[in-house]
Amino acid sequence: MKALDLKLMRDLWRMRGQALAIAVVLAAASATFILSMGVHRSLFDTRELYYSENNFGDVFASMTRAPRSVIDQVAKIEGVQQAQGSILQYAILDFPDRVEAVRALLQSVDERGRDRINLVTLKSGRMPALNQPGEVVVDEPFALANAVGPGDEFDAIIYGRKQRLRVVGIGLAPNYVNALAPGDIVPDDTRFGVFWMGEGALEAATDRTEAINALSVKLQRGASEADVIRAIDRILEPYGGTGAYGRDNHPSHVFLESELDQLEAMVRIFPPVFLLVATFLVYVVLGRMILTQRSLIGLFKAFGYSDAAVVWHYLKFAIAIAILATILGTIAGIWMARSLTELYARHYHFPILRFNLAPSVFLGSGLLAVASAAIGAVSGVWSAARLVPAVAMSPPPPPIYRAGAVERIGRKAGFTAIGHMIVRHIARWPTRSAMTVGGVALSMGLLFSTLQFIDSSKFMLESYFFRSQQQDISVTFTEARNEDVLYELAQMPGVLRVEPVRGLSVEMSNRNRVERTALEAVPPDAKLIARIDQAGNAIDMPPGGLMLSRQLADQLDVEPGENVYVKMLGGRRTEAMLTVGAMVDEFIGNRAYASPSTIEVLARDGAPAGAAMLLIDASKRADILRDLKAMPTVLSIGDRDLEMARFEQMIDENINTMIVFYIGFASAIAVGVVYNSARILFSERAHELATLRVLGYHRFEVAVVLIGEIALLVVASLPVGLFTGYWLAQLMLRMFGSDLFRLPFAPSNATYAESATVVLFAAMLTAIVVARRVMRLDMVRVLKARD
Amino acid sequence: MDRSAFSGRDLRKIYVTGETEVHALRGVDFDIRKGEILVLLGPSGSGKSTLLNIVGGLDRPTSGTLHYDQIELTALDDRDLTRFRRAHIGFIFQFYNLIPSLTAQENVRLVTDIATNPMDPADALELVGLADRRHHYPAQLSGGEQQRVAVARAIAKQPGVLLCDEPTGALDSKTGVRVLETLEAANRELDTTLLIITHNAGIAAMADRVFHFLDGKIARIESNTHRIHPSEITW
Repeated sequence: MKALDLKLMRDLWRMRGQALAIAVVLAAASATFILSMGVHRSLFDTRELYYSENNFGDVFASMTRAPRSVIDQVAKIEGVQQAQGSILQYAILDFPDRVEAVRALLQSVDERGRDRINLVTLKSGRMPALNQPGEVVVDEPFALANAVGPGDEFDAIIYGRKQRLRVVGIGLAPNYVNALAPGDIVPDDTRFGVFWMGEGALEAATDRTEAINALSVKLQRGASEADVIRAIDRILEPYGGTGAYGRDNHPSHVFLESELDQLEAMVRIFPPVFLLVATFLVYVVLGRMILTQRSLIGLFKAFGYSDAAVVWHYLKFAIAIAILATILGTIAGIWMARSLTELYARHYHFPILRFNLAPSVFLGSGLLAVASAAIGAVSGVWSAARLVPAVAMSPPPPPIYRAGAVERIGRKAGFTAIGHMIVRHIARWPTRSAMTVGGVALSMGLLFSTLQFIDSSKFMLESYFFRSQQQDISVTFTEARNEDVLYELAQMPGVLRVEPVRGLSVEMSNRNRVERTALEAVPPDAKLIARIDQAGNAIDMPPGGLMLSRQLADQLDVEPGENVYVKMLGGRRTEAMLTVGAMVDEFIGNRAYASPSTIEVLARDGAPAGAAMLLIDASKRADILRDLKAMPTVLSIGDRDLEMARFEQMIDENINTMIVFYIGFASAIAVGVVYNSARILFSERAHELATLRVLGYHRFEVAVVLIGEIALLVVASLPVGLFTGYWLAQLMLRMFGSDLFRLPFAPSNATYAESATVVLFAAMLTAIVVARRVMRLDMVRVLKARD
Repeated sequence: MDRSAFSGRDLRKIYVTGETEVHALRGVDFDIRKGEILVLLGPSGSGKSTLLNIVGGLDRPTSGTLHYDQIELTALDDRDLTRFRRAHIGFIFQFYNLIPSLTAQENVRLVTDIATNPMDPADALELVGLADRRHHYPAQLSGGEQQRVAVARAIAKQPGVLLCDEPTGALDSKTGVRVLETLEAANRELDTTLLIITHNAGIAAMADRVFHFLDGKIARIESNTHRIHPSEITW
């Protein structure tokens, strides 16, 4: 080994503390990158694999009732590869020890295994057998949540008739990755499940011999989805078709897509920011570290080493650190990506898992680490290598200080000599000080913007559930009812208030833009449901017009005062041109609202109650739920508190799982930035500090010089950090909006405090470390080093 | 009246670096009188600087005792050694060790801020002939001027002892003489004990006594019957 390489090894060992600190910061960025890419890519690939292996449909349609023969008709449409019909039927399950109603969506499957689309993956047991009427396969989340397994039996009310069901298997299917009960915005596996039942059995149970009410279609490659949808709609129109739709309107897919979108947004936002911060840090730290080797660089040049050889030597130093960082980051990244992917796969209920980390991801993260280390190293070496050897070898001339603006302030404030030392050092190296402030601020901003995600989701939930939804219980009916049902509900002991809600499935269009959505109406005097804007204020319904959520209005590209074409899906399929009266900023959902009279114009059925909102006496809750459960007209019952808890859990599992990792990395980077800045500051000023000690300053007094500067820089970085955080948060939230919900910028005081605290804590930790260094400062050696 | 400033008995200093031991001082005995000018001569590594550092409370002997006045320096902990330096010792180094971010006057204030009976910083600079340059930063001063600021900084607290490690080592003869004149003046006017390490044998002529160091010991003590003025030194 060459002497220079030996020196390299020993330097690395001697500076192992700082080298490791740099490596950790780079590793945190690498790990973030690998983790994010790994998790997202794996989940995306897993979903694609799941979809393709189970042949998830491309186009879906439902109708009141159609003869089986329509399947062949649809199959003949140009562009259709396969078509499959099925029966979908809601059922009430009789779980005697459960207060709330438990429901299932029964989906027919071919007992002979001839299904080709939306295949069920069996996790255990078998598929329903021919001529075994009660046999069902239960979806896994429901089975897990309700401790149901093969061999279990229970009663169900199907199509008004009681029937004994027997679980023969547990399964999963791509069209029910998320099983959403009607009226729900988040899946609730404890109260709603998907059951697969033999076709013959379900035909018999629902009097639909040789009839279907749902269709799934696989398209040929390159087929026009829109054309196929139009053709299907034409075929199904006589049978009460409610409008075919593609995957982008499939509830389960949309829900999953929205969750994956959020993950992707995180993948897009976080790793680049982390890498940027890390690169910046390494650039600053390594450059300054190498500058402290200035006289050695002079020596090498005096020996006859070329500039390139010297630069290469230090470049190797940087690369060694980068390699260490890449190894650390890769190990941490793979480990975390794998466990997180498994966690997510469970959360999403994927029956398979394809953990996919492309070699390019490692290569990318390694190259980024090497590049950031190299940039830092070269910038440091270059300024030293450019010097004439004799100059480089002699101690650097005293830096030139001049009286400036800071000077006048200092004089007015009556600074001590120590005070001047602190302030002037900052002012003398404005770029360096700014970089330290920038680095700390960036890491704090990173922390702030990551932390605020949790506040943001909380605020959104609160806004949705506590302000706009005042009911305790929502009841969705099997079909829209007239006022009688409201009186019936109001009669129940303990029910304090009842308000109807009517929702229609509609297609809205403006020029070439088309969106499917729910159009909802509540009475003008409604108290339980309010539409509130993002500031939390209730918005009145404009008479006679539509009120669109801002997201929907953007999708349709309409402004208040403009018209949209509204087509009712199903029912009478009424069409009307309606004026947009107002817009509402909502966080959750993508809805439209109208007055009951407008809805009646479309629905023409005199049934204003598709659902009802109930305010109840909490002590009568169990009785009310039991009574509701017994009502055949009730399709599902929503409990606001439970819904909120589930939503919170979903956000927790989907976003916050990842966020927690990011917060950890952001904290590590914050600590790393502050620590490294202080360490370098220490080595740069060791000589001055030793002089102070010699002059009779106590260790503590000397430490003040360093700690004072760090403190000033850190304090200066706090407002900058909050500003950076505000900006980063805005950017992230904007990138984060999904069809499911939008996140408001609503950081809590705790988030401000926490991000500042982590930085201050890092600073304090650093202060302690630096103070200890000052304590151990060997005056004689430091001063000798230059003499 | 006891005029003893320092008295050292059997001072030894062993530096342990890795597996090797360096015997920097191998049992040194000496007495230094108050107001004396003492020059320490000897080749590199003979123990001069080690003794200076121990006398100045920058370092501790491995064994032996050292007294300053009634204070047993060898018994003091770090905090008390710092107090000792603060109260009694002024240091001057070959490379000045000024704080570059402080002006000449502020460098002096660095010391007067913490001293018990200091001069006015301006007066100290006046003494070294730099009154008009007191608002200059080190980078704006020549080497000789910087060293004079260091001298002003050292004498401003009116220390009992001035310890100078190669004070003229980085200076030309003319400037060196100016610095030495300033030191001599401090000795004369403030009764400051002066210890000067030098490689320049000529400087020995301005001393009361000269300690000749060799291999960690005082090989020879030479007394001058007549001190010459720095201006008469042959460089």
